[in-house]
Amino acid sequence: MPEETIGQHLKKQGISRRDFVKMCGVLVGAMGMKFAPPLEESGLPAQLNNVRDSASANLIANALETKQRVPVIWLEFSDCAGCSEAITRSQSPTLVDLVLNTITIEYHETLSAAAGFQAEKAKEDAMKKYAGKYILVVEGSIPVANDGVYCTIGGRTALDLLKETAKGAAAIISTGNCASFGGLPRANPNPTDAKGVWELITDKPVVNIPGCPAIPEATTGTIAHFVVFGGLPELDNLHRPKTFYAQTIHDRCLRRPFYEAGKFAESFDDEGAKKGYCLYKLGCKGPTTYSSCATIKWDQGLSFPIQSGHPCLGCTEPNFWDGGGFYQGQSAPLAPPTVTMAGAAVAAGAVLGVGAALANQVQKKGAHAEEKKEG
Amino acid sequence: MNWESTLEFARGPFFQVALLVFIAGMTYRLVAVLALGWKADKVKSKGSKVNGIAMSFAKGILIWPFIPWVKNTFTRNPITYLAGGLFHLGLFVVIFLGAAHVLVWKSLLGFAWFSLPQPIVDWLAAGAIVAMIALFINRLVNPVLKLLTGPAEWLNWLVVFLPMVSGYAMTHHVIPEYDTLFAIHMLTVDVLLIWIPLSRISHFMFYFFSKAIHGSDFGKRAVTP
Amino acid sequence: MKSQTVINTFVEKTGAYVAAQLEACTRCGMCAEACHFYQSSGNPEFAPVWKIELLRRAYEQRFTPVGKFKVAFKLDKPVTDEDIAHWSFIDYQACTMCNKCSMVCPMGINLGPLIHTVREGLSDAQAVPADLKAAVNKQEEIGSPLGVTDDVFDSRIEWVADEWEIEMPMDVKGADTLVVFSSIEIMKFPNNLAAIAKILNAAGEKWTLSKKGREVVNFGFYEGNDKLTKEFMNRVFSAAKELGVKKIVVTECGHAYDALRWTSANLMDVPEIEITHIAGLLGEYVKSGRIKLKPGALDGNGTITFHDACKIQRRGSHIQEPRDILNILAPKSFREMTPNKEESICCSGGGGVIAIKEADPIRYASFELKIDQVNKVGAKTVAMACSNCRLQFTDCVQHFNLDWKVAGLSQLVADALVE
Repeated sequence: MPEETIGQHLKKQGISRRDFVKMCGVLVGAMGMKFAPPLEESGLPAQLNNVRDSASANLIANALETKQRVPVIWLEFSDCAGCSEAITRSQSPTLVDLVLNTITIEYHETLSAAAGFQAEKAKEDAMKKYAGKYILVVEGSIPVANDGVYCTIGGRTALDLLKETAKGAAAIISTGNCASFGGLPRANPNPTDAKGVWELITDKPVVNIPGCPAIPEATTGTIAHFVVFGGLPELDNLHRPKTFYAQTIHDRCLRRPFYEAGKFAESFDDEGAKKGYCLYKLGCKGPTTYSSCATIKWDQGLSFPIQSGHPCLGCTEPNFWDGGGFYQGQSAPLAPPTVTMAGAAVAAGAVLGVGAALANQVQKKGAHAEEKKEG
Repeated sequence: MNWESTLEFARGPFFQVALLVFIAGMTYRLVAVLALGWKADKVKSKGSKVNGIAMSFAKGILIWPFIPWVKNTFTRNPITYLAGGLFHLGLFVVIFLGAAHVLVWKSLLGFAWFSLPQPIVDWLAAGAIVAMIALFINRLVNPVLKLLTGPAEWLNWLVVFLPMVSGYAMTHHVIPEYDTLFAIHMLTVDVLLIWIPLSRISHFMFYFFSKAIHGSDFGKRAVTP
Repeated sequence: MKSQTVINTFVEKTGAYVAAQLEACTRCGMCAEACHFYQSSGNPEFAPVWKIELLRRAYEQRFTPVGKFKVAFKLDKPVTDEDIAHWSFIDYQACTMCNKCSMVCPMGINLGPLIHTVREGLSDAQAVPADLKAAVNKQEEIGSPLGVTDDVFDSRIEWVADEWEIEMPMDVKGADTLVVFSSIEIMKFPNNLAAIAKILNAAGEKWTLSKKGREVVNFGFYEGNDKLTKEFMNRVFSAAKELGVKKIVVTECGHAYDALRWTSANLMDVPEIEITHIAGLLGEYVKSGRIKLKPGALDGNGTITFHDACKIQRRGSHIQEPRDILNILAPKSFREMTPNKEESICCSGGGGVIAIKEADPIRYASFELKIDQVNKVGAKTVAMACSNCRLQFTDCVQHFNLDWKVAGLSQLVADALVE
């Protein structure tokens, strides 16, 4: 099946050329074409260059029509399947359908009909068949403590499975904060020593699509980028696609004017909260959280947490579980000293101070004696 | 090391250590000075020392700032007077009434108070920064300050100036990387916290003693301080 | 090593009182703007804060970890004997210890007492200007820096009693009040002696002079020499004890009042005797009606103004009494200078400065501020309650060829008494 081109596949699905180009337009927006690599590098004919700016959608359409569908292996480790759920329920038929039509998911624990050895066999076959070509999507963190025994599938550890699958992958996409940065399983005290994929796999390109869950459009947009250009989009220092993670929530927040005006909700049910004031004092992490929640939003652009009245948790950032309480001020210190510590500091200072003063008292009394000695 | 882990370090363990160093250091300074011993004042008072002390603080905080022209320090050295006043006013408003800092107090103390609207805090912060620059220039120009200013004074100036500028830059997003500025701000704040007990910036604590000494000395003599 | 002695004395004298104030200083330089010596000369080294620089350095180097660090890494210069000589100059010749600087210090640092501590150190190291030291020695040996020996005292008092035909009781046991003149009054302003005697007699005061406690001036206090300060004060106190008086009246002398009233109890055991200043006493007499003054007696002779002395007004609180008196004597022509009262500008002659010949140029230059002040109100007569100020005024009036009349408060009161 994957041997047929995407264009052929779509035609078979009954999608008209007109609808297809429309969908490609959505895709262009989602991918943020600004970051698209030069066409030659991405294996597209150079003559398409002249249409790039004016007709990006056509460019994508042409690319998709002539390319083969990309095989995807989707692994789940210490996760909640929330990122998969988000993708399947994103209610965004144009984009997600398009993406699902451009890839073939060869293995997905939650979605595949097959189970047990049958499913594992299908994965092994796909790995062999598409060696070096498939995209590996990882969902969930990988526990490495005690040789990784805290997460096993079919008797094999997550770590083992990841390493094996990663070997033949063209690229790895970590979807969700768990696969990216360890997420919830990594929260203090992190008993299973959960890790993100990019900490374990260093010889393959790894894209992090953090979020809890990852914004489906970010995951699919990244996959689409790979499909269209045959490579990964430009990444930031945390390996996040700049398309979706270049700006903070704060930068695009609809409550930002209230922040500037110093109008804050002080509790969840006060007058300020009802008037839609800034949620900064309720612990909003917007100013330090890089994500496109505020622009792409969720449920077909219906809303996102801040819009619905809840402060941003900062789920696209590493260690967001341990980066201060969810309702603790964003500017508050992460580890304020306890009363005991402060008391100990006072005691230490007082002891040193008394010591110094006693030494100085001795010095004062001996001032003349010293002078006589020297004199 | 990237900016995010730097920020986490500066907001987390480094801040904690810096604050503890600050607390221990200031306690040390206070105890070391006070334990040098006070001599009881055996002179019979003519007036009330308590009234003198109250007047001393009232004049320092409530009276002179509002009728500055009475003092010849205002007429003869207006830069130090005005810039010094503006700097301290701005600093106190930003630290105690700025929204972000109120959250810090809440986290440290468990309770907090109101915060002022951003534009007021913002203008005062800007004023404080301008005042600091004016004070810097004044130290270069004024003959007395030239004599009095050594490396320690310049260092103190810098250590106070950096958190102010980085904080201001942060709220104004002069570069898009908020966390970079936040990290710089927190790092400079941590350095400031550690630096205070080692330097003259600790004057805010001894202010209460010197002002009280002044007030009691004048109160004892029944003269308005 | 003079420097070592100075530092050691500083170490010895530094308690929490000194340390807390040194720690509070932000080196903002405001105090300079209050100092008449800095204002008149523009020399930054005359800034009050610079006058205590040695004390600060001693404190920092010997008592604080930062200072010890600086010394260990040679970041701080050691104090040298040249430094001592230099600071002897700025602390004795360019400071009257008028404490005006403490009025403008935003931190409320009491610079006057701190500078006194510096003088104590310099005194221990014998780094006192020769002229001042000579005067101190003279007081130690003959009882007065101005050469008022027993014989001179006797003859001067006798002469005053004759000249002004006034009773001058001497060594009267059982008197209520011991009056102690300063040798400046005895030698330079004998009319003040007569005036005070006249007022006290008119008020019906049971008062006496004492041959033993004849000198209220305390040059040991100027020098910062604790031992001599105590000795000189003790002469007055033991005389008072012998005579059994209830009250000691310091006549028109500023620093003596500061020493005797506000400092003595912290230096030595003092008898339970009330100490007051003649300015306060005059005010009390007028208020209680023990003496009556001719209202408006001084009107019609041009504007009269009052010079507030640092030790009697700013540090002695007798601010209102002279004004009450002048408002009776010259209700129409009494005008205030600005700044005045506790904020007044010093005469520039106090703190021993006038005793030091070398300091003359600084002293004269600084007096120009006072000339401006007086000229602004257009005063023809300047009244004051301090004979040290009066000596400085008289000297400067001569030096600058001014047409002012310089008058002691007691003298003005005595002249206007209703007999």
